Parts: sequence; structure tokens; C-alpha cells
Amino acid sequence: MKNYDILIIGAGSVGLPLSYYLSRKGKKVAVLDKRPSYGRGQNRAAIGGIRATHSDPAKIKIGQMSIEIVKEIEKNEGIAVDWIEGGYLYPVYDDEKEKALKSLLEVQKSYGLNIDWIDAPKVIELVPGITEEGLRGGTFSPGDGSASPLKVAGAFFKLSKTAGTEFIFNEKVVSMEMDGDKIYKVITDKEEYSADLIINAAGGYGKEIGEMCGLDLPVVPDSHEAGITEPVKHFFKPMVVDLRSDNQSANFYYYQNYEGQIVFCVTPEPKLYGVDCDNTSEFLPLAVRRILTLHPKLKNIRIRKTWRGLYPMTPDGFPIVGKTKKVSNIFLAVGMCGQGFMLGPGLGKIISEIIVDGSKEYDFILDQLSLYRKFEGNELLK
Amino acid sequence: MNRIEKHPVLDKTEHNTVRFNFDGKEMEGFENEPVSSALFANGVKEFSIHKKGNAPQGIFCANGQCSQCTVIINGSPLKSCVTPLKEGMDIRTLIHLPELPETDMKDFEQKTETLKTDVLIVGGGPSGLTSALELAKLGFKIIIVEDKDKLGGKLLLQTHKFFGSQEDSYAGMRGFEIAALLESQIKENENITVLYESSAVGIYKDQKAGVYKNNGKFSLIEFDGMVISAGAREKSLVFPGNDLPGVYGAGAFQTLVNRDLIKASDKVFIVGSGNVGLIGAYHALQANIGVVGICDILDKVSGYKVHSDKIQRMGVPLYLKTTVLAADGKDKLERITVAEVDKNWQPILETARTYEVDTLLIAAGLSPVDEFYKSAKKFGFKVIKAGDADEIAEASSAMFGGRIAGLTMAKELGRKIEIDKAYYEKAEILKSKPGKVYEPNKVVVKEYFTPVFQCIQDIPCNPCTTVCPKNCITLDNKLGNILDIPLYSNDECIGCGLCVAICPGLAISLVKQVEESFAEVMLPHEFLLDFVPGDKIPVTDISGKTLEDAEVLSSRFNKKYKTHLITVKMSLANAHKAIGIRVQDPKITEPAKETYLDFLPDDGIVCRCERVTVKEIVDFIKEYHVRDVNQLKQIRVGMGACGSKTCSILLPRIFAQAGVDYSEVTPGTIRPLTVEVPMSSLINEDGEK
Repeated sequence: MKNYDILIIGAGSVGLPLSYYLSRKGKKVAVLDKRPSYGRGQNRAAIGGIRATHSDPAKIKIGQMSIEIVKEIEKNEGIAVDWIEGGYLYPVYDDEKEKALKSLLEVQKSYGLNIDWIDAPKVIELVPGITEEGLRGGTFSPGDGSASPLKVAGAFFKLSKTAGTEFIFNEKVVSMEMDGDKIYKVITDKEEYSADLIINAAGGYGKEIGEMCGLDLPVVPDSHEAGITEPVKHFFKPMVVDLRSDNQSANFYYYQNYEGQIVFCVTPEPKLYGVDCDNTSEFLPLAVRRILTLHPKLKNIRIRKTWRGLYPMTPDGFPIVGKTKKVSNIFLAVGMCGQGFMLGPGLGKIISEIIVDGSKEYDFILDQLSLYRKFEGNELLK
Repeated sequence: MNRIEKHPVLDKTEHNTVRFNFDGKEMEGFENEPVSSALFANGVKEFSIHKKGNAPQGIFCANGQCSQCTVIINGSPLKSCVTPLKEGMDIRTLIHLPELPETDMKDFEQKTETLKTDVLIVGGGPSGLTSALELAKLGFKIIIVEDKDKLGGKLLLQTHKFFGSQEDSYAGMRGFEIAALLESQIKENENITVLYESSAVGIYKDQKAGVYKNNGKFSLIEFDGMVISAGAREKSLVFPGNDLPGVYGAGAFQTLVNRDLIKASDKVFIVGSGNVGLIGAYHALQANIGVVGICDILDKVSGYKVHSDKIQRMGVPLYLKTTVLAADGKDKLERITVAEVDKNWQPILETARTYEVDTLLIAAGLSPVDEFYKSAKKFGFKVIKAGDADEIAEASSAMFGGRIAGLTMAKELGRKIEIDKAYYEKAEILKSKPGKVYEPNKVVVKEYFTPVFQCIQDIPCNPCTTVCPKNCITLDNKLGNILDIPLYSNDECIGCGLCVAICPGLAISLVKQVEESFAEVMLPHEFLLDFVPGDKIPVTDISGKTLEDAEVLSSRFNKKYKTHLITVKMSLANAHKAIGIRVQDPKITEPAKETYLDFLPDDGIVCRCERVTVKEIVDFIKEYHVRDVNQLKQIRVGMGACGSKTCSILLPRIFAQAGVDYSEVTPGTIRPLTVEVPMSSLINEDGEK
């Protein structure tokens, strides 16, 4: 049986940075993933947005740290991750959304976030060709941005490996053996492991991992669909989020990545629950309708690829982070609700400080994201 | 203009001439020919400048798959090889990234048409067409999705006579003639609908396929069963300079030369001695393009012996155990360097030599286009693959295999039919690789014409036996099937020359003694005649050795087989060895005085779309301990327009170079779409029907 200080299950958006920070603090860390390499769960499906402008203290803090970290990787480590500080823009076309976003703005500003209402001409200036009819303006947070999920994952893999993390791929956790309230053994289809602390960072499969040690985690994945176009010269910078819904979809969002490609993602309505990531014929027509309704200028661009990815959802739309009452040596970092990529770097750093340094600075985050919260609220900016 | 004005086999067709602009310069081309061909005809071979390394890029596949031929047409980046030329087009070199194409769209509605069919056939080539005909005969409704504007697939590019048998695969006919025959049968059949210029771009879990019509609409097709007959794609080769304009696939060459009658080159070198490379050389010679040589890294010819013999007889040297080290040139190909390899496949630099050529054809083999089959299988659909998509082989085998595929699909869809066991045996035989080589039979030259066979290798071919009006020719019956070699078994030859004219290998002559030490020899010739009776012409033996300059006595043209029958007078001693007429001046095959060796071996491009080199990939594999092809996406490998169609085949070797056994490596994930689709293809604009 192989023994580690910390065993992380999941080499994804959360597990990768987390392993890096833990190894850097001197811990003997291993990361287990059933897939053949890092970032092949939902990280590969993320489109790349990273924002701090959430509506709650925990995610705001985590998001702010993520942005800092991603920028630092480029600046300090010299690893390109294609960061673009293009901001997040929520264009508004109706009274209801205007009211909702403006009242949210008050909350966001109260947390000191750099976000404001901009008028229609400013929106058009930021996103040339956006539908002008009925455009009322929107909220814009210039400090947010985007990066390449592939490259960020690769960067953390490299940094983490250099810091001493052992990565074990192609191994699926199949069960756990308990000794009282402690996980005594983590059993994969090939090996057995023990660790002082086990971290569940299994993304779309976080619930399954929880069940292996008797935890009932309220995480249910549903699938979203995304696509990418051919590259064209850069002509807009922000991540554009259309909060409207139609008969087949809820919100959708897109941006132009570092390569010049438009990357877009649509939230299906009704939800597609489960872990099935196979493409169906419905997505392409739907996505094109949504995009061209908002941004007709994109009419002649060619779509290159489409794919599906999972949003491991919790009942209130917030992640579950922290220790459990039932199992003494597990730490949860699950239920990222589709925001694993943008929360991962900050969350990794925070969790490492909590676990290794016993930091109390982030107690407010642990309280807010506790497994034992009531799950009654509803995330306003999913 | 670089156009082929006269061709020994192909007829020129009438075209409307239209004017267009390229980078501000006025040019002329034929209406509706592919823009790429019009540009080639005007001497333009550089289509874009890649943002990585400011590298000029030319055509590569000419088949709508790779997107390397993208240019800006009327403001939009489009693949020039699948865009028909129109009067007044404004065409520009694509420099780095294109601008977002302009649009003035206001209102639209999203509407995607869904068609229904019993069987969806992807690819209207030889196997797709024969399977469609079998299925339609049984009453099934068929939709064929074909990405060109004509049916026949690669048959359309094949100007040579076919192997196989007359009964099962139209042996002796030329590919484009077979294509026309099959297309007319398909068009007459009311159970079959053909969607021309349409590509299948994705197979979806809800048992529908996405189909995109070039510069048109995206539709969905609901089906009960699928036949995947999407053919094959050409393998790329990796060496420095491999993305220079002028380095491209043999299939692209055939498209330019045989389909569009473009004189694409003055001097060409070919790498790969399979049938594709050998026939490519033959097609080049027929188009009056010099063939400097063919090389193959293997120690024997991969294609049919009759083909390689034929090429060498025409004056093309064949270099075995030889590889291309580098291609070089300013903005386009000007020279290549080749060298022999040792037993570990390493080049022996002392043997390196440089040839000055404007074109290097890559004929390094084919790989099946079977990704749709794989996705359909994964989803549990009823699906069968046929032709090259199933297994790389000759078109004769594809046509027969297509019939079996059609019948098998009918069975899968619940039709109670029996498939004759003999079909499977025939299919296997037609797929056969070139077999055993025999010593030539002893020839007795008589005072009347008798045939001499320089066909001494087991290959699936027998039209000489069925064409002979006197039934003089049989197979030697060593194997008991059409792989056997021909024999003159019944001494009743009337000297009609039909066997000489039909033989796809041009490996039959007729000889008769005329004087004590002279003989007349009738030889096949598929070139424009540049001699008249009385002239002396170089007559060669099977392997290209000149026997003597023989006097031309007469020539006649067999219209059906489009072959000249040339009768020459030569010495009796040489007569039974004579089989070909050299057409190429040996001078053209000489190497350059100086050998070009100024290159780095690992600068070869693997991922052509994103211009990722061997070195970049090998370094990344080592640094990131890569065991999953998907990791390479981090350095853009496979992220380009072609969706890893070209580079994925090359990766096993690159991993090996990085010290990784490819069996430990997880292959890359393939997702829809396989061809890029503009958003506009999914909408109807206001007022549009």
C-alpha cells in the first residue's frame, strides 16, 4: 500500500492547482485520476472565463485570487496561459434584467468589486456588431478575463510535478476501506493507497467518490454544450454573457480567445442531467440561433468543433468546500457548478493554507461553502 | 497558362472563360472550376502566409479536407479547392488571420431541414455507389452524401485502365469512364437521392447526421442504417520544408492534372512507390510533366510490378531504400535532397543528392476515413464501412466490396437475403497485395503474331483472358483465381491486338518474325504520338533498358481502350523482350551539381494547420511526460481547421522519436465537426425561402 501525506482524487481544474500549493508547502502529495492525463474531465470542456465579480463573499475572494494567480503564472513562471483581461459584459435588453443586474450591482460594489453599469453606446464599442435594437446597456467588470483552460491545466501540472507531486493516471478509485471515522484505504482498479488526508476534487464524479466513504454529497451533474470557431483577427475583448433564456436554453456566453477563435457555451433548458457527454444534433442549431440573435455580425464565421461538458451542480449553486463531520480525514472541494476552472487556482491556494498552515483567514469561506449549510439560497450569477 | 492543351487519354471540355482578381492582378480562369485550379493555371502556388514563421503555404489535399489552400474570396476565408470560380471574384492571399467576414444581416429565422432515409451513404466513390445500387435494387431509399459535384470519388482522377476482372469490376476501362457509367446508373434510380457538394460533418447520438453543403445549408439526416464509404486520406511525411508550396499529395496532383487539366508542374519528384505514386508518375508523363524520379524507403516496390516496370520503361528512375531528407526553396519548392538509408532507416549522408524540382508529390500511403464509422458504432447504430474506409485497396476491390456492404446492410435492416459465399472469396482476391514474381515464360517467335506477356507477378487481373476473340489466353491456374498470370494456351492468335490494348499494365506485346533476323512487334502506347512511320524510337525491355532504336512501321488507335498500337521492326534477338517505348529524356533525371544539406532534421512540420514541428512535439512529450495525444492540444497540435486529420497518423512515429511506445498512448478525441461549417448555413434570412 502506497502512503502519502495527502491524496487528491481528481487531476482537474481544482486538483491540479491544489496539488501544486500543497507540494510547495512540503507535503508528500499524490493525485489520482481515472483518465489518461490531467485536465481531461471538465477542465478540457471549460471555455476559459475567469471572473471575480460574483455576488457572494466566498466566490469573490476565490475569484480575485484566481485572477492574480493566473496572471502570475505568465509573469513570474514564464508559462503562457493566454490570459486576456477583457472583462465580463452582461448586455441587457429588458426591464427585468436591468433591474436585477442593477440591484446586484449594489451588492457587488459593496464588496469593492470593479464593476459598473455602462450605457448602450459603450456596450457597442466593446462588442462591435452586437444587436443594437432594444439594447439598454449592461454591467461591465474590466478586471475579469479569460485564459486557456488547457494551458492553465498544463502549467499547474508542470509546476506541481516540479514541486514534487506524484501523478497517477489511468487509475479509477473503486472503493474505500474505513477504520472508524477514518478512510484507511483508497482502493483503485490497480493499487491501494493510504493518506493522512484525502481530498475529493473529483468534479463530475464527486458524488460517487463521496459515497465510497459514506458521504451523501448533494452534487448532481448536468451537461452544457460548447463550441469553437475558426480564428479571425481580434475584434472584441470581453466575455459576453446573455442572461436571457428561450424555449431551449437558459443563458449563454462567449468570447474571442487568444487565438482569435470565438468560444461559446449554452446552458440547455430543460437541464440535461447526467454524465453523458455525447453530442446530439440539437446543439448546433440552438447555439447559432442564440449567438446570431445577440451578435449577427458573426454570421459568416465557421464553427470548428462542438463538445459537451458537465456542471456538477449543488442545490444552491455554490461549491462545497471543507471537512466533514462523518469522515475525519477527507476534505471536500466539489460541486463547482461549472466554475471549477475559474475557482480552481484561488481555491487551491486557499485550501493549502487552511490545511497546512491552519489559516483562519478563510473561515468565512468554509462557513459559506460548508456541506452543512442549508442550501436554501440561490446563486444569482450562475 | 499552365493548362494541358492536349492529353493522350482525356478530352478537353468546353468552358466559359471568366475574369477575376488575385491580389489586385487581373487573371482569367474557367467558370466553376475550383479557385485553386484557376490560380494554379495562372502560375499561383502560394495561397496564404501562416502567422507562425511567416511561412508561405500552398495546396496540400485539394480535396476539401485540410484547409491549407484557404484564400480570401470576396472578403471571406474559403477553401479554394472547393470554391467554384465566378466572374469578377476578388481573391486575395490570406495573410495570418483573416478579418471577420462582413455581413449586413438583420432578421433571420433558425431552421434546419431534417431529411429521412433508410440508408445514408457517406461518400459517392466506387464502394458507396455499388452499395447504393445493391440497396436500391432491394427497394431501400438511399441518400448519398458526396462532397464533389460529380459522383465517382477517386475514380474520376484515374485515367489509367483498371485491373480486376471485366465481369466484377470493369477491368480494362479507365476510372473516369467507370465513374460516368456508375453515375448514370445512380441517376436513373429513383430510390437514390444524391446530395452533391455536401460533406457529412458529424454523427449525433440521436441517430442523425449533420450534412453541410459547400457555401450553402446545414441539414440533418435521420437514417436507419449507414454505409461509410468515405474513402481514404493521404498520409503526410515529415521532413524540413514539407509545408512549402509545391509539396503536396499525389491525390491533389491527380486532381489538378487529371480532373482539371492543369499542368501543375514542370518537373516533379515522387516519394512513395505504392500504386498511387507509380500511377502519379505515369499521369505526370502523360501530361508532359517531367518525372525526375520516385523514391521509397523500403527495399522493394510497394505497388504492382507492372506499374513500376511501366514507369521505368518510360524513363523514370526508381530509387529504393531512399528517403527525402529536405525540401527547400524561397517561398516555394525549388529543390529536394534525398539519400539512401541504412538498415536502421537512418540516412547515409554520403549518398545525399539534390534534385531541382518545382513539385514533390507525397505518396506515402493512405489511411481510412473511418471516424464516422467509429462514432456510429459507439452509438450502436447499424453501420458498415466499405472501400478504402474499410481497408486500403484498389478501386476494383472497392467496387466489389461495396456490393457486399450493400447486401450486408440490407440483412442488418432485416431483409432476408443470402449473400453468395463466392462473393467474399472474390472480395478477398481483389484486395490482394502484389504477390509472387515468376521467371518469364520462354517465348518462341513465330511467323504469325503471338502474344508475349511481361506480366509475371500475381495480381488480381484478367481482362486479357476475356477480351481475346479466339480465347487464346488463359491464366496459368497455379492459384486457381484471377491472381494467376496469363498464358498463351491456344495457338490461334489473329494479331488483333485487343489484349495489347486492354492490358492495364501495358505488359502484353505481339511479335512475329518477318525476315531471318528481324521481327515485327506490336506495342501499347498511351502518349501523344511524336513520331511517324519511318522514325526510329527507343524500344525498351521490361525494366526500362533500351534494347535498340526500332523503326516505326505503323500505328493505329484503339478507341475503346484509348490506346495506340505501335508496330515496330526490330532485331529478332530483341523482339521477345520488347515491351515499351521510352518517352522521357534521361537528362531530366540528373541531380543538381551541388547537394543541399543546410537544414535541421527536426524542423519538419507535423501539424500542418498550426505549423507545429517535430522538435516542438518531441520536446513537449518529454517535458510533460505525455501519454495522451489530447495533451498535445496545449501546443496546438490537432486544434486547427482540419481537426487532426493529417497529423494524427504521423504521431506514432513522433512519440517513438521521443522514446515513448505508442501502445501506451491514449489517442486524441475526435469530436464533430469534421469540416468547419459557417453559422450562416444554419439560418434562413428574411425573405429567403
